[in-house]
Amino acid sequence: MPSQAREPKSRHSSTEGTPWFKTRGFAESASSTGFLVPILAVFIVLTLIPLIQTVYYSFTDYTGLNPNVNFVGLANYNKVFTDPSLLVGLGFTVLFAVATTLITTVLAIPLAVLLNTKFYGRSFARSLFFFLGVPSLIVLGMVWSFILSPLKTGAVNTVLVNLGLDSVPWLSDSTLARVCVIFVAIWAAVGWHATLYLAYLQAIPADLYEQAAVDGATGLQKFVHITLPQLIPGIVVSTFLLITNGLKVYDLPFGMTKGGPGYSTNTITQAIIVHGISQSQYGLGSALAVLFTLSCLIIVLGQTLITSALSRRFA
Amino acid sequence: MNGLKPSTRAKIGVWVRTVLVNLVAIVMAIPLYYIIINSFKSSMDMAVSPFGLPGEWSFDNYVDAFANLPIARSFLNSIIVTGVAVFFQLFIGSLAAYGMILRKSWFTAGVGAVLMIAFCIPLQATLIPQYRIEASLGLVNTLQGLILLYLVNSIFCYFLIVGYMRKLPMEVIEAARIDGAGPFRIYYTIVLPMCTPILATVVVFQTLSTWNDFLQPNVFLSSTDNRTIILQVFNSMSQFTTNWPAFMTITVIALVPVFIFFIFCQKWIVSGLVAGSVKG
Repeated sequence: MPSQAREPKSRHSSTEGTPWFKTRGFAESASSTGFLVPILAVFIVLTLIPLIQTVYYSFTDYTGLNPNVNFVGLANYNKVFTDPSLLVGLGFTVLFAVATTLITTVLAIPLAVLLNTKFYGRSFARSLFFFLGVPSLIVLGMVWSFILSPLKTGAVNTVLVNLGLDSVPWLSDSTLARVCVIFVAIWAAVGWHATLYLAYLQAIPADLYEQAAVDGATGLQKFVHITLPQLIPGIVVSTFLLITNGLKVYDLPFGMTKGGPGYSTNTITQAIIVHGISQSQYGLGSALAVLFTLSCLIIVLGQTLITSALSRRFA
Repeated sequence: MNGLKPSTRAKIGVWVRTVLVNLVAIVMAIPLYYIIINSFKSSMDMAVSPFGLPGEWSFDNYVDAFANLPIARSFLNSIIVTGVAVFFQLFIGSLAAYGMILRKSWFTAGVGAVLMIAFCIPLQATLIPQYRIEASLGLVNTLQGLILLYLVNSIFCYFLIVGYMRKLPMEVIEAARIDGAGPFRIYYTIVLPMCTPILATVVVFQTLSTWNDFLQPNVFLSSTDNRTIILQVFNSMSQFTTNWPAFMTITVIALVPVFIFFIFCQKWIVSGLVAGSVKG
């Protein structure tokens, strides 16, 4: 690594007369490049090369079993949109992402407002809600699969039967299973996102509320006209996290139902893993992965546009 | 309530909120209670009263869990994978951030743009070729192979760190340079110590997400001895299909370290949550 010690001049000193490779500019540039080499290596090996291969596989019939690789055009993409099991997985992933985003946001904001007020047991309640978002979702999902087990011995069903009611086929009915998975996702996420909102709430200047109180604003008016507008940056961040994590979801439904009953709680990520790795259908799995990546990029782009529009509106 | 004094009304409000919020919190915590309480029961006891206290408190499930499963080994695997991966993520990410603030040029601008795009590419997009590459190199079902995959998160660390580094006073770096310190020495002795708050946040956040990861261990690790603790819990489920308390026990064992970590690092998890909000 070249040292700059030889020329202890000020930053703006002239470098005339010194060979170009001995100037500070070159030395700094070289060391600066050196610091970037590891991350570029990571990028090339773990992102760029695999990404190119994914796109390439998606246009071939590569299976790993057959050494001959043929171009098949858009056949894999066609298959994605005609295979009912994949379409169900796609539908559930979108439903999951949208439902968890909307419901978590609607619940997390009032929860954060409540957690920001004075009451007894506040730090306990804050920590507890927050903690539910911390453990691994596959583990929580499996625990919930016992609680919501459709068997008579399932925890909730035991309580229902003891109360003289019928047991409910929680995770063995397609619609109910979907509702249950989304419910558990919200249960785990709401405290985590309330904590995020809490950080934004605590940054709202108190004099805004004092002025509103002088003007005789009611609690609801304060919430609508002060709290919500001030929370816009937080809402942007939180909904973005929810929607992208929702699209990438895998652990929770897999832990609760393994994608069942049938394919009703199957997710795109699970389909990519099953087709692309377990069944060695690299072509089909890659086509799914390409479509998935494109939809994620579109959402990132859309989110960026909305964010900049919103910050212009409220700045 | 209109006839009441404002101070009385405020007091009533405090009590209403105290009851309401704590009640909701307790209801939300029932699954945690369910896991813990059932780890002390027999299968029979759990089937009869899933939410009741154990008729007889028994530690047999814990004894059996440690006897039947390589729990210590799984913890060790998780610790090795998380520790080594997070160390390298931090090193690579902070080095890159330092390289970016050291000098502005067409090259650093280009790298910045490339990393921004890489940041938006989901794991799913690269998973299949990553598996094929690791399989051809014999890295599937090894901890090294898993750690290698986690290095991609250096890009996320870079984004968190570079934002913080840009706000550092450049005069300090300039002064060290005039005193004759080389670029790496400035990085190691001056820039890194000044970045401690963001480094702590990144460590806590990445530790949690690496420790909790299920997707990649599930795809890349297969043998019992290599499983991380999360994967061990997952695999024990098929082993204990009829013995539910055994599953609850291994879940408690797996959650205890996460809980302790949460208690001690809650502050940094929150700051990571806010700082990491940029994650796409």
